[in-house]
Order: sequence, then C-alpha cells, then structure tokens
Amino acid sequence: MATVVQLTGAGVSFGGVRALRGVTLPVEEGEQVCVIGPSGSGKSTLLGLMNGRLIADSGSVEVFGQDLVQLTAGQLRQLRCGLAWVPQDLGLVPNLRVLQNVLCGKAGAVGFFGLLRRLALTRMEEAERVRDLLERLGIPEKLYERTDTLSGGQQQRVAIARALYQEPTAILADEPVASVDPGRARSLIELLTREARQEGITLIMSLHHVELAREFFPRLIGLQAGRVAFDEAAEEVSSEKLRELYSMGEE
Amino acid sequence: MKKFYRSRHWLGSRRLTLLAAVLLFLVGLLVLGAKPEDLKPSEGGLRLAGKFLKAAVQPAFDYEAGDLPAAAPPFWEKVGHSLVLTLRYALVAMSMALFGGLVLGVLGSRSWWPVVNVSSPSGLVLLWILRSVRIVIRALATLARSVHELLWALLFITAVGTSPLAAVLAIALPYGGTLAKVFSELLDEQDAGAANVMRAGGAGSSAAFLIGVGVRAFPDLITYVLYRLECAVRSSAILGFMGIPTLGYHIATAYEDGHLREIWTYLYVLLIAVLVVDQWGALVRRRLSRPGPAREAGHVDDPVAELRRKRPRSLVLRASLVLAFGAVVVGWTTESRWQSELPAGQRQANLERFMREAIPHPVREADNDWGKLGPWLKERICPEGAVALHRTFHIGTIAILFAGCAALLAVPFAARSLATRNILEVPGGRERVRGLRAGIGCVLRAGALVMRSIPEYIIAFLLLQVLGPTIWPLVIALALHNGGILLRLGSEVIDNRSSRAAEVLVAQGATRSGIFTGSLLPESFNRFLLLLFYRWETCIREATVLGMLGVLSLGSLIDDANTRLFYDDMLLYVLLGALLVFAGDVVSDLLRLRLKGGLVRKGAVHLF
Repeated sequence: MATVVQLTGAGVSFGGVRALRGVTLPVEEGEQVCVIGPSGSGKSTLLGLMNGRLIADSGSVEVFGQDLVQLTAGQLRQLRCGLAWVPQDLGLVPNLRVLQNVLCGKAGAVGFFGLLRRLALTRMEEAERVRDLLERLGIPEKLYERTDTLSGGQQQRVAIARALYQEPTAILADEPVASVDPGRARSLIELLTREARQEGITLIMSLHHVELAREFFPRLIGLQAGRVAFDEAAEEVSSEKLRELYSMGEE
Repeated sequence: MKKFYRSRHWLGSRRLTLLAAVLLFLVGLLVLGAKPEDLKPSEGGLRLAGKFLKAAVQPAFDYEAGDLPAAAPPFWEKVGHSLVLTLRYALVAMSMALFGGLVLGVLGSRSWWPVVNVSSPSGLVLLWILRSVRIVIRALATLARSVHELLWALLFITAVGTSPLAAVLAIALPYGGTLAKVFSELLDEQDAGAANVMRAGGAGSSAAFLIGVGVRAFPDLITYVLYRLECAVRSSAILGFMGIPTLGYHIATAYEDGHLREIWTYLYVLLIAVLVVDQWGALVRRRLSRPGPAREAGHVDDPVAELRRKRPRSLVLRASLVLAFGAVVVGWTTESRWQSELPAGQRQANLERFMREAIPHPVREADNDWGKLGPWLKERICPEGAVALHRTFHIGTIAILFAGCAALLAVPFAARSLATRNILEVPGGRERVRGLRAGIGCVLRAGALVMRSIPEYIIAFLLLQVLGPTIWPLVIALALHNGGILLRLGSEVIDNRSSRAAEVLVAQGATRSGIFTGSLLPESFNRFLLLLFYRWETCIREATVLGMLGVLSLGSLIDDANTRLFYDDMLLYVLLGALLVFAGDVVSDLLRLRLKGGLVRKGAVHLF
C-alpha cells in the first residue's frame, strides 16, 4: 500500500507560538484517520500542512511521495487535484446552484475555461453524475436549488458531494460537522466514511466529537498542545487516555 | 485584560464626537457669516414661494405661454424628449463607467493576488509591485471622482463644445472612479472560504477568484450599480444646467421664462424616473439576496431533465437583465451624433485654444517659463481661493451636521420596527389612535424618499430664488437631500439590528424614545457615525459645485472664471476643489476604517 501523507518531525509556529512540534506520522492509502484533541491543540494546523496551505518550518511533509517544499506552483496544483478539502465553514458559493458548486470540485482538473464551460453550459452526463452523487448523499432533488436556500445539514452534504466529485485520492475534512446537532453529525460522518470506503478514498478528518471518532474511525490520533499524544487503533484508546487528552488541554 | 479597558478610542467616545460636532457647527456658522435672520425670505421671495407652491398642485400639461413659434413641438413631445435624453446619457455613461470600474476595481482589489510566496525575494518584489499598482489605481479612481460631474462637463464643454459625448464622459469619469473604488472594497470584503477550497483542490488562482470571489460578490456589485444608475439619472438631469438639453435644462429655462407650472412638470417627471429606477433596484436586490421558493418542488425520483424544468427561476431577474442590456444598446445606438454640431476644424481649434489658455497666463506669456507660476498661484490662492475653499468645506460640514441631527431625531419615528404599535414586534397593546404611529412613519419615509430623489442642485436653485443669495439655500438643499438618505440608512440600521437590550426595555414597559436613547442609539452609534462620514465626503463634493449658483465658494469662483473666459483660473479652482474632495475622501476613509475596528488584518499570513 502506498503512503499518502508522510509527516516527519514536522513543526509550525505562528508569530513565535509553536502550533505544532515534531509531528511524525504516516497515513496509508485507503486509511480512515481521525484527529482529535482540545481546541487549539493543532488539529487544523495539522490538516493545513497536508495540502500545503501551511508550510512546515521544521521537519518535512511528503504527499504522494513528494516533498511539498520542493514543488513548483504548477506541480503543487497538480498534486492538490488529488486532495479534496472540506473545511468547517464548507466554503460553498451561496448564490450558485448546488449543481454548480459540486462542479467546482473539478476546478483543478479541467482548468479555467473548462470550469467556465461546465458552469455555464452543463452537459447532461455531467449533471447526471452530480445527481448520482447527491442521491447517494440523500439530496438528489436539490440539484438545481440555490445553495443558500438549503439547510445547514444539506449544505454539508453539498460540500461532501463536491469533494467526492473531485475524485481525489484523499479527503481532508476539518471539523466538517462542528455546527450541527449530534444526530445530524452522526449521520454525516457515517455517510462520509461509507462513501470514502466505497471509493477507496483516504479520509483524514479532525473532530470535536470523541464518541463519533471512536465509532467510525479505525485509527485515532490524539493531539495535545501541538504534539501527538497517541496514535493508535480506536479500540486501544481508553477512556482514561481521552480524559487525560482533554483535561491537560484545559490547564 | 488591561488592554481591553484601555482600548477606548476617541472616535468611539460619544461625548467627544458630539462636542466636536457642535464646535465644527459653530465655527462653520461664524466662517460663513450665516445669520438666522437671513432665513426669512424677502417679501418678493415669499410671494414667489407662494406662487411656486400653488403651481405644484397644477403642473403644466401644455405650454404656459400663448405666443409660440409655429415650429414648436407639442409640449409632451418636448418633455418626453428631454426625459429620453436624460435616461440615455445616464445609461450610456453607466455602461462606460461599469466597464472601467470593473477593470480598475479588480486591479485595485487584494483578493485576486495569486499565490505570492512571501518567503522568496521575487515573491516579495511581486507583492510590492501589486501593492503599488493597487495604490496607484485607488488614487486615480479617487482623483477621477474628486472632480464633480458638473465640473467635468464644464471642462469638456469649454474644451470641445456642448455635445452628448461631453455629457456622457462627464458622468462616466467620476462614476467609473467611484465604481472602481467600491468594487475593489466589495471584492475584498467577500468571505474567501470558497476560493480557498477551490485552490486547495488544485484550481488556479483565476478560477478561484472568478468563482469563489467574483460570483459571490455579484449581488453586492449589482446592488451598487443599480444605486449608481439612480444617481446617474439625477446627474444627467442636472447637466442641463450646463446647457445639455436634459430635464435640468428645461427646468432652468422654464424658470427664466417664469413658467412655474412647467417647472413642476419636469420635476415630477424626474421624480418619477428616479423612483422607478429606485424601486426596480430594490426589487432586483430582494430577488438576488432572497430567492423566491421554487414554483414546484423537485422530487427525489425526478431525473435531471425534470429537476431542470422545475428549477427555481426568477422572471424579475431575467427580465431586468434583458431590459438593462436592451436599454444600454438602444441608448448607444439611437444617438444620431455624439459629437457637437461644430465642424471638426472648429472643434480642433477650440480644443487647442482651451489647452493653450488653461496654462496660467504669466507662464504662457513668458514662453512656458514655469518659474512664473509661483506669484500667480499665490495671488489666486491668497486670499480668494483659500477663503472659497474654507467656505466650501464648511458648507458641506454644516449641511451634513444638520442632516445627521434631523435624521437622528426622525429615526425613532421612521424605522419600521419602531414606528408601529408593536415595537420590535413585541405586542404593544391597543392604542387610542389606531395606526397613527405607522402613519407618521409612512409619511417620514415617503418624505425621505422624495428628498433623496431630487438632486441637491435643483433644490438649491429653487431655494435661492426664494431666500436670496445667502449661504442658507445651499446648506438647506444639501441637508434635505442627505437627510433623506441618512434617514433611510439609519432606519435600516435599526431595523436590521437585533438588540436584546432593547427587547428587555420593551418588555419592561419603556417608551419608544426611552428604548431609542437607552439602548438602540448607544448600540448603533458607531454605525450612525460611519454613515455620517460616508455622506460627509459626498456632501463636500457636492458643495464644490453648488456655489456655481452664485454664492461665494469654490463653485462661484469657477463660474466667474468661466464667464470671463479665464480658463487658467477656472482649472486652478477646479483642481483646488478636487484637492479638497480628495482630502475629505481620504480622511473619511481613514475614520471609517478606524470605526470598523480596523479592517487591516496585520500579520495575517498570506497562504495562497
């Protein structure tokens, strides 16, 4: 199995504050990994390193076997086509239709004019493909709705559909369910892990909900004050360890 | 924590702001020598006012004069033609301004800057270049709008003669500058989330900018363009005072002929045109921000084609798009000649003469020896230019203080959420006079609408005839127009704000004024101040031209120089005015930025 992401002693600091230090971890292809830890422990920073939105100031970050620092802008773009990102605020264009937002997933692969053509004159087969994706996510009837008329949970599904439409090797999801109630959060995580498994997409997610993380992810990474506190199979993570992870962060 | 308590800035201090306002007001009255007794119209003025108001209820439906030349077109044809010209120039100018504003607005915004790798030296150089481009473009845009459209018209007309092209360019230049400035601000204010996701997924910067920022900003941009179109109709109308045959031209000539009822006909036509554009803009804005529900909900089992058929579509938006595009095309194509009627040789000669005479005369006479500029400049500026500049500043400032004060007093009676029985939608019980509150609110809002629909220049022109050539007509005209705008914006601030404190006060039985002064006013104070500074800058800009009606200020110096054909003096005073507006613009921008809590995000990492 190929290694998708390999961090080696990676560290980042913002204005003198070390957000992440000496993080070493490999993520293999097809894996489903969840990053947990208290607020400010560096979860978002860790995900930011993985698609080169942040640059490590110590150690190295390799994605698909390539060192991110060595890449030219064009190579970085190409590499990023294989990495989808679902941020906490979803990053949807509110006044576009659902279809068009999902089509934006392929923005990297089809280029500027390819994207414009798809948005302005969507071909039947492209719309069909998006509808199929939405159907798997449970909202096929919203295909032509304006995105900002959808509920929060539905918009999250649109963001997931966009990530899947990109046909990436890996999806990086940063707290994708932070703003919904526990029931919705559960069904969304279930959906995302199921789809990723079916498509063989590597999934790396950060989560606040420890219970959800334990239920759906085989591997958990505990972050605490920018360090990896533990990195092991979900069943080995005891309640003790979790308590420790969160209690230390509050001091 | 200490820092938190100390973070009080003088700008946020209500007491200091009020003190400064009162001081500025008194100093302004002193400088302008404005006496309250001048507010009383003379007997002749009073009689004229009476006649004029009587004419308001019986506008002319035909020529007032009996002895007409046989070749005169029917009255309504004349009115219709001037309306068509007014709209045509406004539309064509807006289409030009829109093009320029988009190009410059994008270049002047930060959000399209691509991945600039600030760690590499070449990246730093690139960033530096982009920053300089941005500053230059913003300065150019501000400069273009520092010269009022009436002054641009004056310059073009003296240079190449009265022509539709001069009218259109006079509006297009300052409006292009304004659009550029506002567009770049709107683009930079957009949430960058979507663009970031696209770039993180491998999209190029241009695609991410166009879709993630541009499309997202689209409703805001359109809203602003439609507002400017409404302003352009007004501007186009007052260009008539420079001899362009739009509505303002006929208002001025009808006055000269003493046909008061005809004036009202043109005024009503202008008012209706502006209101139609205003209401159309409001409708489009509503549709863009809150799309209506789909006529037919899609079903889970529907195939794509069926879903597509049922997709929500807005007839208003589509019709508006076709209408706007069609109107611009018609505007561009139906003008038979854009150039003035002078032969080409004559135009060329005029232009050359203007260019020659625009050079200060001592310099011109000494064979372009610019060393002679100093004494000439000094003679013009001290004391005449400086006094006029000073007066212009105070006219604008006093007017905006009046307007702000009036709007502040009227807001609690005009805001929809207050001017009703059920304040902030809390049931308020029965009232003896049913609907009185709502009625007062309605009247105030309608009054504000009418006031902001009539150009200041026309209000000032009419008031001058009644009050005589004192400072008051100018101040009142500016205050009325801007008061109307401030009342509307201020009411929106109150209506769009959800205030827990105010709701608690309502629940505790406080009165309307108690709620306003106790919670809404202090909470929204900074927002009100923001609006005041925004209008202050436009007030100063307007004040530079109102003097052309014959009250000592920059405008009167410009007008004087023009009638005496001293083009060098004229240009100097126009530039002086531009300087004042430019300074006002920069100061207002700085103050507003400060009030917004400093939008400059220092230390933000440029990741993309």
